[in-house]
Amino acid sequence: MPTSPPNPQQPTTDPDAPSRRVHWVLLAAFLGLLGLILASGYQATRTLREMHQQEQDARRALAERAQNLSNLYISIEVYNEGIQRYVGYPSEKADPQVRQQLDRLTADIDAKLTEYPDHRQPQEAAFLAAILDLYQRQRELYRLALSATPSSQDQSLMSSRILTLRTQLLDRSGELTAWSGRQMHDSDEALLSQFGRLQADLTGSLSIALAGGLLLVIASMAYILRLERQTRGRYRELAHSRHELERLSSRLVDAQEEERRSISRELHDEVGQSLGALLVDLGRLSNNLPADSLEIRERLEHMKSLAEQTVGTVRDIALLLRPSMLDDLGLVAALEWQGREVSRRSEMEVAVESENVSDDLPDEYKICVYRLVQEALNNAVRHSHARNARVRVTAGASGIAVAVSDDGRGFDPQRARGLGILGMEERVRRLGGTLNVKSSPGQGAMVTAELPLPVAAGTPA
Amino acid sequence: MRQTRVLLADDHTLIRAGLRLVLEQQPEFVVVGEAADGREAVSLAQSLKPDIVVMDIGMPGLNGIEACRQVRESLPETQVVMLSMHSDEGYVLRALKAGARAYLLKDSAEADLARAIRAASEGKSFFSPAVGKVLLEDYMRTLQRTGAEDTYELLSPREREILQLVAEGQSSKEIANLLNLSVHTVETHRARVMQKLNLRGIPELTLYAVRKGIIS
Repeated sequence: MPTSPPNPQQPTTDPDAPSRRVHWVLLAAFLGLLGLILASGYQATRTLREMHQQEQDARRALAERAQNLSNLYISIEVYNEGIQRYVGYPSEKADPQVRQQLDRLTADIDAKLTEYPDHRQPQEAAFLAAILDLYQRQRELYRLALSATPSSQDQSLMSSRILTLRTQLLDRSGELTAWSGRQMHDSDEALLSQFGRLQADLTGSLSIALAGGLLLVIASMAYILRLERQTRGRYRELAHSRHELERLSSRLVDAQEEERRSISRELHDEVGQSLGALLVDLGRLSNNLPADSLEIRERLEHMKSLAEQTVGTVRDIALLLRPSMLDDLGLVAALEWQGREVSRRSEMEVAVESENVSDDLPDEYKICVYRLVQEALNNAVRHSHARNARVRVTAGASGIAVAVSDDGRGFDPQRARGLGILGMEERVRRLGGTLNVKSSPGQGAMVTAELPLPVAAGTPA
Repeated sequence: MRQTRVLLADDHTLIRAGLRLVLEQQPEFVVVGEAADGREAVSLAQSLKPDIVVMDIGMPGLNGIEACRQVRESLPETQVVMLSMHSDEGYVLRALKAGARAYLLKDSAEADLARAIRAASEGKSFFSPAVGKVLLEDYMRTLQRTGAEDTYELLSPREREILQLVAEGQSSKEIANLLNLSVHTVETHRARVMQKLNLRGIPELTLYAVRKGIIS
């Protein structure tokens, strides 16, 4: 006997059972990973937008500055040209229009200088200072040109100074363009390095997310594998205990049959035969009595009828336990006997039909079919109050088919699964067969079973 | 007077002893041997060649019906008296088919044994009265419940006469002599009886007769 199963009221706590904590940890990890990815994505978008804005701003500011400066230069150049023309062509000196133009230019440049934005980069300030210096010198030159009537010597001196200034102006202007280009380049560089930082940041956070994801996947896989292993183990256990149970109940049926057989044998051999011998003796005794001993004869007759009754009772019990017809006459005759016996004792008439059923079936098949029919007929008599029942046993190449039908009041097979049907099912299943109970209230009942035969048993020896 | 030689086959010593006592009271019988199972019964019968074997049906190893068949096959002169606890027609019919002449219930064995052996040794049938009663009851009940027709009503008086004589164990020749008919006529009658009653073979016919109380 295997050990008894644990008490179902107090299920033992299983240390391997998956705890709810693991669920929460996994969920939190998934959420964290998701959050990390979302956050870094958001950060990257924001940084990119900022960079774009910065770049725009920087370019605009730079362009503005360069524009300012070059405007100044152009103005000064125009001014310079004006002076040159003024000095170089004395006829024009008197022209008030030229003077007016020059004055306007002066005012214009002054205005531009005053309007010039206050925050200046050092380089820019240097340019501005240079421009101012050039401007101052030009204005001085111009004042000189206005104040005196210059001699031709002076005139050539002035022209050469103007030229020098102009050259310087051009140089400065070139420097300015170069500076502006450099500034642009620097801004691009800054942007690039910022982009590089962003890339590094993104790579970092993505790596973290990837590593976290990998960890999470490994952890989840481990968890799933463990669960799977546990499930497999539990399934094996279940299958095993199921198998055990089947084996046990099959052994139970065997043991019951064996016990019945031995009790029946005992009753028949010991009790039955002793009573039989007693009857023979009593009969002989009463035959040999003198004719006048009436009282003794009466006593003897009484004893005989008592013994006969007891013999009958013992025989009935023995037959119920183990139908000796199965051994004496074979399955078909035993079924026919059973049918007549039920017909005799009840209000139900039983018809038994059989086809191709061999008399040398293995004992467990005979007893299975016999008990099945017995149970079905009993049910029909006791619960269905049937008037007619029909037993049909057919043997084919592959197995035996048994059908017991009655015209009783029927029942609902789903609800009325009593021990009787369970017992039939058990007997049929252990021989690898199937049992089917078909009935509905008012429609009678039909119990059918299919028993596959072992290969050797199907053919008569 | 020539004694009838009897072999007793029963797996229970007490029963054999009781039967032997019954038979030894009659000088016409002599018990020549006792067997405790079917196989022993067959081999003893073959060596002793008794007139009668009294055979219990429920014996271990080889049961009485099978043993009866083997004895009748190898020794046609030896008749078998079947002993049984069952008055069911399944047993009676199978015993008859195996070649038994008489069928006795164990309950009434001591009372009817001598008569049964006498009848069997003359080639006649004998059945315990209780057997006929049970078979008749079964028959009547089935007729009543299924509403079937009693086929016995279909037979003519001459056919009923021949049915009884065949069931008692008489051969066609004996019947012909008894009734002053030709053997051929007797056999025609017999065939018609079988057909009307839907019977196959003498054992079924005998069973039918017992069931109807025509013979016992």
